[in-house]
Amino acid sequence: MSLRVKFWLILVLTVVTAVLAYPREDKILHAIGLKKASLHVQQGLDLQGGAHLVFQADLAKTAPADRSKAMDSLIDVIQKRANPSGTSEISVQRQGSDRVIVELPGVKDVNDAIDRIGRTAKLLFLEIPPSTSGTPQPIDTGIGGKDVDRADPDFDTQTSQPVVRLTIKSDARSKFGDLTTKIHNENGQLVTLLDNQVVFGPATVSQPITDGNAQLSGNFKSIGDARKIAQEITAGALPVPINLVEERTVGPTLGLESIQKSLVAGIIGLLVVAIFMVSYYRLAGLLAVAALLIYTLITLTLYKLSALTPYSIVLTLAGTAGFILSIGMAVDANILIFERMKEELRSGKSFVAAVEAGFDRAWTSIRDSNASTLITCFILYFFSGASPIIKGFAITLGLGVLVSLFTSVVISRTFLRLIIRTNLGRQPSAYGLRTNEATR
Amino acid sequence: MNIIRLRRWWYAISLIIIVPGTISLFTHGLRLGIDFQGGQLLEVQGRVAQSEIQSKADQLKLKDLSVTPAGDNSLIRYRDEAAPKQQQSDHLALSSQLAASHHKEVRYETVGPSVSRDITRNAIVSVALAALAIVLYISFAFRNIPPPMTSWNFGVAAIIAMLHDALLLLGVFSLLGAFFKVEVDSLFVTAVLTVIGFSVHDTIVVFDRIRENLRRERGEFEAVVNRSILETLARSLNTSLTVLLTLLALYLFGGESIKLFILALLVGIASGTYSSIFNASPLLVSYYRYQQQRALNPKRAPA
Repeated sequence: MSLRVKFWLILVLTVVTAVLAYPREDKILHAIGLKKASLHVQQGLDLQGGAHLVFQADLAKTAPADRSKAMDSLIDVIQKRANPSGTSEISVQRQGSDRVIVELPGVKDVNDAIDRIGRTAKLLFLEIPPSTSGTPQPIDTGIGGKDVDRADPDFDTQTSQPVVRLTIKSDARSKFGDLTTKIHNENGQLVTLLDNQVVFGPATVSQPITDGNAQLSGNFKSIGDARKIAQEITAGALPVPINLVEERTVGPTLGLESIQKSLVAGIIGLLVVAIFMVSYYRLAGLLAVAALLIYTLITLTLYKLSALTPYSIVLTLAGTAGFILSIGMAVDANILIFERMKEELRSGKSFVAAVEAGFDRAWTSIRDSNASTLITCFILYFFSGASPIIKGFAITLGLGVLVSLFTSVVISRTFLRLIIRTNLGRQPSAYGLRTNEATR
Repeated sequence: MNIIRLRRWWYAISLIIIVPGTISLFTHGLRLGIDFQGGQLLEVQGRVAQSEIQSKADQLKLKDLSVTPAGDNSLIRYRDEAAPKQQQSDHLALSSQLAASHHKEVRYETVGPSVSRDITRNAIVSVALAALAIVLYISFAFRNIPPPMTSWNFGVAAIIAMLHDALLLLGVFSLLGAFFKVEVDSLFVTAVLTVIGFSVHDTIVVFDRIRENLRRERGEFEAVVNRSILETLARSLNTSLTVLLTLLALYLFGGESIKLFILALLVGIASGTYSSIFNASPLLVSYYRYQQQRALNPKRAPA
């Protein structure tokens, strides 16, 4: 590839990444006809505020063979409870053999969410036989939450009171029909409990229910109350008891403050590095700063684009530190190359030869030294358990190292090759050398 | 400038800095945060005095209460050994009392004993794995070392420099824990690993040059090492300077909750720069001298 083509490709890359990395990229994309395109850097809970909850299942009473299945249904139930509408960005994930991680971005009342998720929600239908002598004993009918397909809040057509409508699963309809027919004929009573709280009855059954549509008219205070109960019933009972073993909740103000501070720190860090590079390496330093800016644009674009894939990069506070640290490391490759170039120039090589030798000789150092940082990132990512803080740091630092390899080896090199064709680029002072230190 | 000739001075400076921290590490250890010990942590706005909440904490049977400032906020740590449900209401009781005196809660963390055990195990496993992987990598990267050295010598010297940095960092944080109640958390482990990675990163650049120079000419070994250090000195200092400058920007202007993490990186990377220039390569020479003396005079144990 000729130098000219490379230069134009870098220019195109710069423009594209600059557009994508721009915070209001949707406006620009809209203007050029790409509608509905909106990208964002996915922020971790410590930046946007929210709760990271870890629940541990108590599997002591579950047979080892059934544990995996129990965990699957547990996650299903928690998913339905934490995210009943299925629309918000709530995530429920399994961790290890017996834990479930629930991430609730922007949650307002964490304790309410914990209660909602941790409820057993066992639904029971009990039959109370007609009293012949003494207090009647309720009998478990064997019908429960597992037989309910869905529950919806509604208003009773006659009394206008809030109620919960139940739809019985088709395979349990005849069983439910038989039960209600029996209670109706014997003139007994039916009572429905949710976690030992009465949600219906005890009341007589005026008519056998054979179509599977039952109604719980259990003194709900409001429609909201009925909705809550309906959601609990729809989500189903927890297959195994769970306990909250870890909680990390960050309020939105702290997160916002962290973002602003990191942004300021990042800009100052970038500026200081830029000033240092230009004052020490002059024209070459300026090229390194340009490469560094392109590096920043590429990295931000990758963060944003990753959100479109299943492997989205979540930016945490430690992640921003990893990113800013990688700015410092990104210039390392440039420094290695420039120092090498200066040596070659001092030894009397021509500018063209010095650029090539600088890159070739510096390459093994760049490769070997970055490999050790990449190994660390790799281990941090895969062996740090489920900690989103550490993973966030590892991914941003690791990605930073990889992108900086590209920008320093490909972009800086192209810039340098171009600059030595110009008169300005053939001055020793352009590289921070004294005039007598190099031959022209 | 002859860095090699002054090597005993460089070793002495390292020892002077490392020994106090190491003594503290063995006597006090590190002050472990809730990640490793389990417990609760609350961050509230404004400065809270421990006396303000001590009676409430006693009433709720919260153990090991401590309050430390963090920027404009305060960090409150305690250990609640009640059942999870009760812990939740204890937390609410404490935070509503704080809210009543205008200390709004901005962060709350609770880590159960089973989780903290896992975090500790993961930390140990990842540090051990990283060290192992780096050792393997060094022996791979430094195969084909020209005589008089072997790749094994290079590997050991790089590892000693790496241990130097890790020990210094742990020692400094042990002292900070003993005097300023500074606790270590999972992020600290991350910092240790990053420092290990950086330390080796820095050492490799110098070693790479030594290898190159050894291949090119057959000079006095010490002179070759010294020239290699000097040739890479500008790069080592400039790189460390840019990394330290960015870290300094983060330390001064970044978020409060990563301040200690950044401090750990600052200490570790400064140490990494020192050890790669003044320890790793001089150690190669010390070992070379030791071998030569032993070859000349097998009976007398040389210094």
